[in-house]
Amino acid sequence: MTAAPPRTADGRTLRVETQTGLPGLGGLYARGAAASGRIAAGRALPSLPVIGTGRPASDDDGEAQAALVLPDVAYRVSGVRTAGLERHLHDYQRLLHEPVGSTMPAGYLHVLAFPLATAVMVRGDFPLPLLGMVHLRNVVEVRGPVTVGDVLDVRAWAENLTAHRRGVQVDLVAEIRFDGADPSEPPVWRGVSTYLAKGYELPDAEADGQRGRTSRPEVAPAGYDPATHGTTSAASVASASDGWTPPLPTGRWALGPGTGRAYGAVSGDRNPIHLSALSAKAFGFPRAIAHGMYTAARALADVGHRRADAYRWTVDFAKPVLLPGTVDVAITPRSDDDGNPAPDLTGTAAGFDYVGWSSRKGVRHFSGEVTPL
Amino acid sequence: MTDRYTKAVNSGFTQTLAKKLGLPRPAVLRRYRAGDSLTVGPVLVVSDGASKADADAIAQTLLGWDLDVRREPTDDVRWGAVVLVLTEATAPTDASEAVLATGSVLRRLAGNGRVVTVSRAPADGDSPALSATRHGVDGFLRSVAKELRGGATGNGVVLTDDVAVDDPSVLGTLRFFLGAKSAYVDGQLLRVGPTADGVPAADAPEPATDRPLTGQVAVVTGAARGIGAAIARTLHRDGATVVCVDVPAAGEALAATANAVGGTALQLDVTAEDAGERILAHARERHGRLDVVVHNAGITRDKLLANMKPGQWDAVIAVNLAAQLRINAALLEAGLEGLRIVSLASTSGIAGNKGQTNYAFSKAGVIGHTRATAGLLAARGGTANAVAPGFIETEMTSRIPFATREVARRIPSLAQGGQPVDVAEAIAFLASPAAAGVNGQVLRVCGQHLVGQ
Amino acid sequence: MASRQSRAAATNGPRDAVVVGGNRIPFSRAGKKYADASNQEMFTAALEGLVARYGLQGERLGEVVGGAVLKHSRDFNLVRESVLGSSLSPATPAYDLQQACATGLEATIGVANKIRLGQIESGVAGGTDTVSDAPIAVGEGLRRALLDAQHAKTWQARAKALAQIRPGDLKPLTPATDEPRTGLSMGEHQAITTARWGITREAQDEIALASHQHLAAAWESGFFDDLVTPFRGLTRDDNMRPDTSAEKLAGLKPVFGRSLETPATMTAGNSTPLTDGASTVLLGSREWAESHDLPVLARVVDAETAAVDFVHGHEGLLMAPVHAVPRLLARNGLTLDDFDFYEIHEAFASTVLTTLAAWEDVDYGKNELGLSGAFGSVDRAKVNVNGSSLAAGHPFAATGGRIVATAAKLVAEKAAETGRPARALVSVCAAGGLGATAVLESV
Repeated sequence: MTAAPPRTADGRTLRVETQTGLPGLGGLYARGAAASGRIAAGRALPSLPVIGTGRPASDDDGEAQAALVLPDVAYRVSGVRTAGLERHLHDYQRLLHEPVGSTMPAGYLHVLAFPLATAVMVRGDFPLPLLGMVHLRNVVEVRGPVTVGDVLDVRAWAENLTAHRRGVQVDLVAEIRFDGADPSEPPVWRGVSTYLAKGYELPDAEADGQRGRTSRPEVAPAGYDPATHGTTSAASVASASDGWTPPLPTGRWALGPGTGRAYGAVSGDRNPIHLSALSAKAFGFPRAIAHGMYTAARALADVGHRRADAYRWTVDFAKPVLLPGTVDVAITPRSDDDGNPAPDLTGTAAGFDYVGWSSRKGVRHFSGEVTPL
Repeated sequence: MTDRYTKAVNSGFTQTLAKKLGLPRPAVLRRYRAGDSLTVGPVLVVSDGASKADADAIAQTLLGWDLDVRREPTDDVRWGAVVLVLTEATAPTDASEAVLATGSVLRRLAGNGRVVTVSRAPADGDSPALSATRHGVDGFLRSVAKELRGGATGNGVVLTDDVAVDDPSVLGTLRFFLGAKSAYVDGQLLRVGPTADGVPAADAPEPATDRPLTGQVAVVTGAARGIGAAIARTLHRDGATVVCVDVPAAGEALAATANAVGGTALQLDVTAEDAGERILAHARERHGRLDVVVHNAGITRDKLLANMKPGQWDAVIAVNLAAQLRINAALLEAGLEGLRIVSLASTSGIAGNKGQTNYAFSKAGVIGHTRATAGLLAARGGTANAVAPGFIETEMTSRIPFATREVARRIPSLAQGGQPVDVAEAIAFLASPAAAGVNGQVLRVCGQHLVGQ
Repeated sequence: MASRQSRAAATNGPRDAVVVGGNRIPFSRAGKKYADASNQEMFTAALEGLVARYGLQGERLGEVVGGAVLKHSRDFNLVRESVLGSSLSPATPAYDLQQACATGLEATIGVANKIRLGQIESGVAGGTDTVSDAPIAVGEGLRRALLDAQHAKTWQARAKALAQIRPGDLKPLTPATDEPRTGLSMGEHQAITTARWGITREAQDEIALASHQHLAAAWESGFFDDLVTPFRGLTRDDNMRPDTSAEKLAGLKPVFGRSLETPATMTAGNSTPLTDGASTVLLGSREWAESHDLPVLARVVDAETAAVDFVHGHEGLLMAPVHAVPRLLARNGLTLDDFDFYEIHEAFASTVLTTLAAWEDVDYGKNELGLSGAFGSVDRAKVNVNGSSLAAGHPFAATGGRIVATAAKLVAEKAAETGRPARALVSVCAAGGLGATAVLESV
């Protein structure tokens, strides 16, 4: 088991720490896989509960910024067997309106891999607090189908600590390769989840540089919390409707009050803000909110088979979706290189943009793209 | 549509009770079922001396119908029918012996028995005595019919124009009166003349046949329900292919009737300008011919004349009378050979009925146009006749208030209402080849409801 | 090679399939006259009326084909059961078919094709639908638990399976007419298409008004006397409003497209209501019709179905017929000008208008239909001349039969009147981005 240590986007070389199994995938579904001894079925993350060591920045506390350094470590779990996951996968597929089969949708691989990234975030030397972090964005690249029975190699680390208008953001990267695949080749699945820790600051120069480099929308996101406890408040989130006109919808999701519980059961993310109005109120939300990745995965499913085998799937989160609720969605085919609207139905479309919004309030919940790689 | 009273006094404990109380006990009428014998017992054929040859001829025919025919009254028989032949009686006294002979067996006449007179119609130029004799039969028959009990009826075959007693139509009419098909026809005298010119003898089949309308196409208007549906069923039973016509709004019941009789449904308002043409076209295109048209469609809009609104008057005239005239005109223009038209008149059109000035006008009008049309059709071997039902147990009459309905039921000699099938049987008879010599006549199916002709 | 073969087939290939006639029951708004009538009862009634009209009692037909969009599981053999309950010979085969609102037309196409191939001599096509007696399913949780319990081998396992049931599972599921893949109702979908094509409220109301007026006039003239048999005391389509007016229609509030940026234009007046009803069409070979002394109204010239990608918003949900018709006409050497009648199913008034607009649009013709320009224009005076679904109502699977019978009678009457052949184009849009179209021609 030799694997080259991953290099991060910000140029660091990481030390690989091999874990005994994928954490976080609680409940019944993992049992079949757990029997293989490779996936730990424990509900608890390795070191939960852990609160991030970083502290909110304050004008008179310059030293605090020195602590904002990401751990130079990548977690790795190899030999992850998926043979027992069929029923779990099917439940996921039905819930997300994906065709039921043995190919794992990108969102499912996120469910599978992301707990390892969370484990990085709950390390004692991770500079930001897990509690209260806001999921801003997610970018996934899929380079081929992963099917039930494949044995996988999963790695995760944190990178790109950068300034954000409202604090500090960080990318949590997870990669999935087939077991034994060349680590220098691109992974079959790669997910980058960007989180915001509000109220933190980076040194100005670095922050400016980051701002200049990224083109992320200045929409204020809210609501998605990767941990199983704690949350941020949505009260401070800015309006996402400035100057935006909804397109003609192509679909409408009627999301019932149990949507969060259902996705929580399948994904293992049982954050109370998703589970019930009561538990969500305790964290400052008027009602339960839908998992951001649920909405992104529904959009991916709506694009359907016309996403190619290799594709890039992104989502930017804006206003959270309160449950129960109705989300209008537009899936828009991109123009091809000639500027034509790509009417052909043969799967060679230039990709799709999507956006979900509340037609009642006229505000965006999320937007993203599904484009061929 | 059930007459509970008639049922009650004819069965079980209530029957015993009714007998003891001396309540009128309307009989359960015997109605036609395929395979049943024509009469309920032996038939006595009697005549005056001069008519003996005719009586012999009739007796011979009856024997041919497998009936037990007797020429002498005896006490050991429960008679099924008496046929009183008075065709050649010329003086009132001629009839005495035969009439009294008839009387001598009436106590032994079985329930649902029959008395049928066969006589000749008075004609211009008759001597006073002959005319008296021939008219006398009329009064006699209507009276004896009223004396009969137990569902027995009395009717008369009246020969016109020197027609012979063995004429198929005479025998056919006799057979109708003897059998169960005339269950609710009582006290009626039906005139039978010679078969119209142009009808080949071969076209007049043996009257004994069970399906006299085989191969023929019949149109019945108002066929969705009640009497019309019964007519369709009866004509179908007799072998006809039936085109069932009714207003589009009655289509559901019409379809049920058509499907029950294996015919076709034609949703058509008979008051439409082109109703006749469309009926004719349908019959010809879909069934290749048209032999029988039964004008059954009719409506009532009862109101005292003082309260009559134009719409109520006009609608009744339009449906019951004008439509028939227009359709008949189209049929006549088409020049069909041997066409039989049978129209529904009503006893209201004969005797009048309070609250039914419009209806009675239309139904008397039907009688009028039937008589006038008869001659026009006769030229091509056809006939036009009318049937005048009395109180018939239908959906329509079931809506009459109970007391009124009960009175209406008990007035006729048969002391009960008729069934739709009774009307249908009369129509089927008039449509049959056996009635080729019956033309321009009105046959009442009323259980002898009315006095007079 | 292939094209030469198909052309040869078109000239002296299959024999004709002809429309003898049709029968339907009056259509009734959901929850009214037919509130307790089942699909089977309605289809049987429509069939019985047809049998009565054409004297088919005891007749063994080639087949009876039809279906329902909203169907009980007990109705797995709906059409066959209806045949067994009818006066047709019980030796008449039947099968169920479902293509959403195009069911009736698709059934017609199927029967006509079998006749043309010589596989059958006669057949009935039709459909039925009831919203009043729609099936109600149990929730997924309850359903799974019941199935698990049924499959359980021991009572313990059964009890365990039943113990999974949660109170929320007991809520019944009523059938939704929402598109499964988009979650949008058909009305919302059409509202999007309407907005995209910029169809005005006034134009839609005009179509609706004409539909009611035309249908009422057709009823008054007796056009439907031999196309409809009353049922359950209903003698005419009870959705029809002969007395409606532009003012009345203009006063209705929009019900679809209210969440769009553009003004909502689709009201209960210019959209079809939920309707109960059933329809049938009698088809046969010419020889069969002749040997049974049956009339022939029209022949089924050809048919084409299409589907569009509405899921990704590329095309409107109900725009498939727009694509089917150019292909259909091209194959038969016809243009849009070659018709005396256009029967375009009025799922919504705007369906008709977007269809016509798309055919008249040059860019659309080029980009979407692959033509050199606009497909063509339709003389509005020839569209739905005797009314259509807006006035008659739209019992999904029954609409195709209504339209085919109407179109067949129209061309027959036109031909009789003018002495020249008459032709009708039939177009029915359907859920799922489907569309079925056909050409009927007088004989």
